[in-house]
Amino acid sequence: MKKLLYLVLAACVVTLCFSSNGWTQRKTTIKVGINAPMTGDIPKVGEGTKYAAEMWLEDVNKAGGIEVGGKKYPVEVVLEDNESKAESAVKANTKMITQDDVMIIVGPQSSKQAIPAGDVANNYETPMISPWSTNPATTADRPYVFRGCFLDPFQGPVLANFITEEFGFAKAAVLYDVASDYPKGLAEFFKAAWEEKHGAGSVVAYESFTTKDTDFSSQLTKIINSDAEFLFTPQYYNEVALIVNQAKDLGWKGPVVGSDSWGSAETVELCGEACFGQFFSTHYAAAGAKGATKEFIDRYNSKYGYVPDDVGALTWDALRLAQAAIEGSGELSGNVKKDRAAVRDALAKIENFEGITGTMTFTEEGDPNKCAVIVKISDKGEYEFYKSICP
Amino acid sequence: MDKLKKLFKPFSVVPLAGWFLGVFSAVLMEFYLGDLISYYLYLPKIPVLFGALFMLKTPLMIPSALAYDLVIYVVPVFLVARVTAPLTNQLAEQLERMPLWLATLLHLAAFYVILSMWAGINDYRVLIVKLTMISIILTLSLNVINGYQGEFSCSHPGFMALGAYASSTLTLLLFANDKMFGEPLLNPALGPWLFPLVLIIGGGVAALGSLIVAVPSFRTRGDYLAIISLAFLFIVKSAIENLEIVGGPRGMSSQPNYATLTVVFVWMALCIWIVHNFTTSVLGKALNAVRDNEPAANSMTVNTRKTKMTAFMFGAFWAGVAGGLFAHVLRYVNPGTFSLNKLAEILAMVYFGGLNSIYGSIVGAVSISVLSEALRPLELFKWIIIPLILILVMIFRPHGLISFTELNVKELMRPRNKERAGGVE
Amino acid sequence: MDIFLQNIINALQWGSFYAVVSIGYSMVYGVLMLFNFAHGDIFMVGTYIGFGIATLLLALFSAFMPGWMIFILVILITMFLASFVGVFVEMVGYRPLRGAPRASAAITGLMIGIIFETGNLIILGAQRFSFPPLIESVTYNIGGIYVTNVKVLIIVASLVMMFALHLFIKKTKWGMAMRAMSYDFQAVPLMGVSINVIAPMTFAIGAGLASVAGILYGQAYPVLDPYMGISLGWKAFVAAILGGRGSIMGAALAGYLLGFIEMFVPMIFPSTFRDLIAYSIILVILTFRPRGFFGMAHSTQLRL
Repeated sequence: MKKLLYLVLAACVVTLCFSSNGWTQRKTTIKVGINAPMTGDIPKVGEGTKYAAEMWLEDVNKAGGIEVGGKKYPVEVVLEDNESKAESAVKANTKMITQDDVMIIVGPQSSKQAIPAGDVANNYETPMISPWSTNPATTADRPYVFRGCFLDPFQGPVLANFITEEFGFAKAAVLYDVASDYPKGLAEFFKAAWEEKHGAGSVVAYESFTTKDTDFSSQLTKIINSDAEFLFTPQYYNEVALIVNQAKDLGWKGPVVGSDSWGSAETVELCGEACFGQFFSTHYAAAGAKGATKEFIDRYNSKYGYVPDDVGALTWDALRLAQAAIEGSGELSGNVKKDRAAVRDALAKIENFEGITGTMTFTEEGDPNKCAVIVKISDKGEYEFYKSICP
Repeated sequence: MDKLKKLFKPFSVVPLAGWFLGVFSAVLMEFYLGDLISYYLYLPKIPVLFGALFMLKTPLMIPSALAYDLVIYVVPVFLVARVTAPLTNQLAEQLERMPLWLATLLHLAAFYVILSMWAGINDYRVLIVKLTMISIILTLSLNVINGYQGEFSCSHPGFMALGAYASSTLTLLLFANDKMFGEPLLNPALGPWLFPLVLIIGGGVAALGSLIVAVPSFRTRGDYLAIISLAFLFIVKSAIENLEIVGGPRGMSSQPNYATLTVVFVWMALCIWIVHNFTTSVLGKALNAVRDNEPAANSMTVNTRKTKMTAFMFGAFWAGVAGGLFAHVLRYVNPGTFSLNKLAEILAMVYFGGLNSIYGSIVGAVSISVLSEALRPLELFKWIIIPLILILVMIFRPHGLISFTELNVKELMRPRNKERAGGVE
Repeated sequence: MDIFLQNIINALQWGSFYAVVSIGYSMVYGVLMLFNFAHGDIFMVGTYIGFGIATLLLALFSAFMPGWMIFILVILITMFLASFVGVFVEMVGYRPLRGAPRASAAITGLMIGIIFETGNLIILGAQRFSFPPLIESVTYNIGGIYVTNVKVLIIVASLVMMFALHLFIKKTKWGMAMRAMSYDFQAVPLMGVSINVIAPMTFAIGAGLASVAGILYGQAYPVLDPYMGISLGWKAFVAAILGGRGSIMGAALAGYLLGFIEMFVPMIFPSTFRDLIAYSIILVILTFRPRGFFGMAHSTQLRL
């Protein structure tokens, strides 16, 4: 018994002595939370988010922190992995809000995590910007949740109009992932917009598959044998490569049109020549970019070795928005809850924010009014700016 | 090992109530002094999970976090527990004279108070505790099928999904004003009181769904249950994805906040109690007999088919209840949650903890849930370390950590000051 | 009619992957009575090894070697290397658990699979790779049906592999030992056949086959990612058990059946219901043929 007591006491003393690392001065730091899918189904998205955050932090540190009310505060980025799972995203958000006292959260990217995580952020009155979630439910009725991209109900009609004007087609085929929230939503909006334009039944093939499928030949055979003039597929880059190539192998001659999820450098790399000449709508065009956008792309490219996809660019914009909101919040009181409310108000007030993916002003729901860009993949496999369509 | 035993010898006289008192004092200390101590130790905040998150993120904080654990948890727990042992033993004796149910209830109440105080420090803790308790229900329910019944069922996420969707639909339809179903049909004030009924209906739906698996697979013995249940999982997921009325792949959100810590705790306690009674009942013993030797059990007048079906539906019921709680804790469900990953997670908890054992299920669920939270800062490496730990446990304890032991509440709560036949000392 | 014939070709190709991968499952299941839940990830590792070897050989020899020679070289080297992965899985995950409950070994398999996936993510990063085409793809149009030479190659190569395995198991001494082991793995070791030789061999053959399937897969679906093996693995598991215990033929046929169901359901029904209907069909099949296609009767003593 005695021995034990001594042991415990000794241990106490020793650990107390060594805990001197903390003997530095305590400062108010501004913490920014990042909720990203580092593992799970879409690790590439998590990687893009992380790299954008690293670059942003580098910039901020170079400037000596964020300046609020004439005082510079150091910034810390808290990165949490949501494993591409809804529950993990909720846990991560709760942890960052209650434990790390973050000022603002950027992420999660996919709607299936952003919807439940947005609920948490809103309940704790912590501002959150989801850079990539296009589902209306993420921000609906949630004053504290914002997003950095346009919504599916906007993108669907944009594409329908563009295709009608550009090609003069009347019969559409759609191939999408039924188990994934984003492609399904966009496919529905596109279908509605197209049928409104060309009458019911003008979407002659409306086929689906399930996440992680790699063989689409059965659906494509059906599409090819319908008299569709073009194929619309709002899929992620890895599936695009397979779909386009398989369609070619099965004798498809028409164009394939995509959505913003095509906007990754890997699309062309994985897809090869089959993708040349195709169109897609996106948030920003990497090739032919000018000014700040080009600067960001070049820096990212030289640092990480590839051209950033839309996730990286949108995360970058979301972080810059967060920074602008913090700077615009007047002063930091040190009370996180109060500061969060101030940051939220500042964020809602931001007007004509010049982001690298476009100019943004938030609507009341917290969605930005943004332009969509139509990009053509050139014969050399480069993304060429084709057209800009604004709401 | 011997030295360790010697070290813990003075504590063998502490009854469960004594440990409770020790932990209670530690929690009290954290409640009142936690902020102060963590301030002096230069920790940014009270560590949530015993400082694991700090330690892994910034190794420099290891001494501080350890010191915190020592001061707040280790010293008070052991000190108070040992010092008050004579007192708590008397208490335990008095409790022993009471009816067993009362004594158990008192212990549970004490445990609940401690848990809610500990969790109350931080909402992140509340969330972890809630999800961990739901994992316990899930693990127990799968243990009924994979452990007590000795089958290999893969459809648990499917049952969970059925329960989650059924109960979410009910609460949203009846008690909540939402976009999907519009105005509530009943007075929302009734919601929390009818919530248990909703959960039971959710469990019932899961149990009904389990018949789809049970009817074809129990005609014969063997591994076909594994693939039938797997097919069932795919079917459920695909069916929900196609049901636009429950949101399809978008899922359902903004369920009312009924699953509070108390509710989840009560359901977990209820589940442990009922599963324990089930497995020690005649039916449960018959189930074990069927597992060990089906023809022999059959010739001993056990209706094997009925036994298996009942147990399977019983397991599915609890999975459904867990699913309902899960949906109301997260306040969001989508079909993607109930995937093969979830299956791997539940299977890991069951086999890690140990088959055929309630202790084992609790240990398995708690350790995997807490471990996966505590190792969060390691990011990718978390998914190397957790599988490695599991492989090692499987190699050295192939039946899981604690298997084939029955829960004995009486033995657990008895006073420890006297020597007893079959006791520890 | 065109659609029908086209889909038969499509299903043959897709079913070939299920068939070859599920044979690996089925062999472990038949010989050792164990679920090899790591098999899907062994397939993934095999594909990545094939990818590495193919990239290397293409860089070194493409100037003076014809494509088919490189292709065969890639297959041989990858098979050799991948079989070690199989042996590794057996040694780490399955050998220490011999005599333990069967489900425990299934869990170690599952965990080794997770380690492979995460390890891949750590080593190679989140970037997806494109499998280099080893054979120039040519599309033939035969009366409105589109067939590529890659498709033909996949179907033929899978059949050849299965036939070779069949010969190996039926005609060689090793094959006989494996069959004996699947008949009774307690008595056979007493006859001088070491289970410590047969078990790793089973895993090695399974892994070798999976890696070849991976290379062919890379030709048809050239996008590689660390999680590519999960769904294929679980579906091959369904096929392996559907085929019946210890029946290579059964597993192969069940694999093709699965491929056909998955291809023909979207042809007839709306494709959103594919999984729902496809797996309902499997459920119905198992209800009426509860022992799979060719399986022997299960012993009632079979325990997990």
